[in-house]
Amino acid sequence: MRRYFHIDLDAFFASVESIDNPELHGKPLIVGGASSRRGVVSTCSYEARRFGVHSAMPIAEARRLCPQGIYLPVRMERYVELSSKVMSIYADFTPELIRVSIDEANLDMTGTERLWGSPEEAAAAIKKRVREETGLSISVGIAPNRYLAKIASGIRKPDGLVLVEPGQEAAFMRGLELDKLWGAGVKTRGRLEELGLDTMEKLCSVGRETLCQLFGKAGGDFLFMGSHGQDPGIYGQEPKSRSISAETTFERDVRDRESLESVLLGMAEELCARMYDEGLSSRTIQLKLRYEDFETLGARETMRGPFIGSAGIYDAALRVLNRKWDGRPLRLIGLGLANLGAGEVEQGSLFEDDSDRAAKKSAAVERAVFEASKRGLGKITRARLVPKPEKDKPKK
Amino acid sequence: MKFTCDKNAFQKEISFAQEIISSKSAVSVVSNVYLEAFENTLVIRATDIKIGFETRIPVEVQEPGGITVFCDKLGGILGSIPEGTIEIEQKDNRIIIKPTFKKAQFSLKTISSEQFPQLPDIDDDKYFSLPAADFKAMIAQTVFAVSDDETRYFMNGVFVERAEEGLVTVATDGRRLAYVKRTLSGNIPDFKGVIVPPKILSLILRRAPEEGLIDVAINDKNIFVKFGLYRLSSILIEGQFPNYQKVVPESQKYELSFKRSEFLEALKRVSIFVEQKSRRTFFAISENKIVLSSEESEVGTAREEISCTYEGPEAVIAMNYRYIDEPLRVMDCEDVLMRYTETSRAVTLSPLPESDYFHILMPMQVD
Repeated sequence: MRRYFHIDLDAFFASVESIDNPELHGKPLIVGGASSRRGVVSTCSYEARRFGVHSAMPIAEARRLCPQGIYLPVRMERYVELSSKVMSIYADFTPELIRVSIDEANLDMTGTERLWGSPEEAAAAIKKRVREETGLSISVGIAPNRYLAKIASGIRKPDGLVLVEPGQEAAFMRGLELDKLWGAGVKTRGRLEELGLDTMEKLCSVGRETLCQLFGKAGGDFLFMGSHGQDPGIYGQEPKSRSISAETTFERDVRDRESLESVLLGMAEELCARMYDEGLSSRTIQLKLRYEDFETLGARETMRGPFIGSAGIYDAALRVLNRKWDGRPLRLIGLGLANLGAGEVEQGSLFEDDSDRAAKKSAAVERAVFEASKRGLGKITRARLVPKPEKDKPKK
Repeated sequence: MKFTCDKNAFQKEISFAQEIISSKSAVSVVSNVYLEAFENTLVIRATDIKIGFETRIPVEVQEPGGITVFCDKLGGILGSIPEGTIEIEQKDNRIIIKPTFKKAQFSLKTISSEQFPQLPDIDDDKYFSLPAADFKAMIAQTVFAVSDDETRYFMNGVFVERAEEGLVTVATDGRRLAYVKRTLSGNIPDFKGVIVPPKILSLILRRAPEEGLIDVAINDKNIFVKFGLYRLSSILIEGQFPNYQKVVPESQKYELSFKRSEFLEALKRVSIFVEQKSRRTFFAISENKIVLSSEESEVGTAREEISCTYEGPEAVIAMNYRYIDEPLRVMDCEDVLMRYTETSRAVTLSPLPESDYFHILMPMQVD
């Protein structure tokens, strides 16, 4: 019998900000890459969510919905630091850990009962350690497969715990609202409603073939398996070599290039910081795109040398995006670094090369910034990601 | 245009032309081979814009004329029909290819020969002659070390320069370097060093005969080569080749020697476990032996010991597997002399007894 824990850090970036600055506690916080023109919400506190703000929403729209919100720049290094701490706590409970993104992990806890007791006891122990050591709160979903665990983790937030017992997968799904069907966004739900399938129960009564006819093979399979509480393979095959990745499912499909670029920039910084944090290096980038019709494609690009700094990762990500994206609305975008190895072995050079030296210098700066912020030496971020004061906004 | 010729003789030249052509677009004139028949001669030309190719073969011309046709398809047709005489005739904007002994017939679209780019040319009196065997050996010893990093375009070719009584060829990718300085008799004129793209050099290696002479001419834009009835040209790479003399160590502290074939065999076995990304391979040198080993990985590890002549201190040098394998493969000696001063600085490989070439490689970090 398999037992998976999916653990989500509650409103992660916003929570970190209020831990580091207790005055912010209980206020509507919006963290995001936020120059006035570009930039989307990375995370917002639960207080901000009440105004209708959600992640991946353009900052401009968030400001309109929640003008009294406190808008903060992304301090990726600090989040990575805390994320690593949390992940290493998880790793104490099981070695079988998929780090889904900076604030999410999927743990295979199969066969750990004798060590950690019942699933509830194990979850309580993990929560306690995370709270004591970082001040953060987590929501845990426990289920016999990864997909259901992921959904369960999102049911009761913050500080939630939802357990799906084996045999109860289908029944659990039937009891949920349609919008809990992870992977089905506004548009798919709209289409389902048009078809009269406005509840999970009704969706479950439709056969696989019919769904495939209506939504195409990929979409139909996804909806069928998902609605019956089976894992449609959301984390794919576990990669042979190590990789780190980040992905965002948009609540509303995105077709605007600037938003996508901002999301990618954020991801590039996150991945770079995680890579540095673990002392790894990579020269392969992978981009994952899922279109509104569930067509999912992945593309990778391998560089001649290892990525030096987040700028290199972002540039490569844009190149792959330009090559692969056909402009149709996307429901999900993911970015990853593959074939991670221990820091690249240094190969001696016969001639000194200026461009090499420049790239290495700027990466050294990035690394120093990362180290400094890890040791609590102030808040440093890219100027481009600092929110512009309202008054500077060009009048239209 | 109309001529008859032996299929095999024609096919041989068309396959050479196919090696030159890089475009596979049926509408582009540079995907086409240029054919011109006159006075019982067929002139064949091909280009990829950078390289020019021309040869001539004897044919029986019924009607002189010139045309260009899609080389890829022409090659396909010639490869599919049996040996014998074939007839090629132009009809309007097509050519008809007919084996004289079969009822088959192919018709191939053409593009007018006027649209074919003018290939660069140089006066015959500018050529100088080099012994083919020497020039090919100089190429073989260096061309593999060329950089394929387009951002370092000035290392994307072999540097050829005049030396007293001969020529120097050098290639480097910034991490290893291959050098030959060969004494050559003949009338080599003075010229400023040039960077020659590897494609034309590889063609010479593959296609030029071992014996006899190769004629070479150089101007400030192109290099021209003649052997047999072939005329090749290539544009030169503009830019400043790095100051390679600066990185050639004047003297090195330690030296060891080993059997080239023994080392290569051991290297091949150890390479099974060499980590594919960095290709780092370790060479532990101690009195009279070298231990080659791979990185320890989850899959396993390989280790092999070979004998050598060495009297210096124990040392471990890490090198990219390819960087040591490639020069050793092209060296033409039984024994190899390896020199170094420090394990983090340049390593030199030369034949023993020493000859007119050597290879330099930079090691990798050991831990």
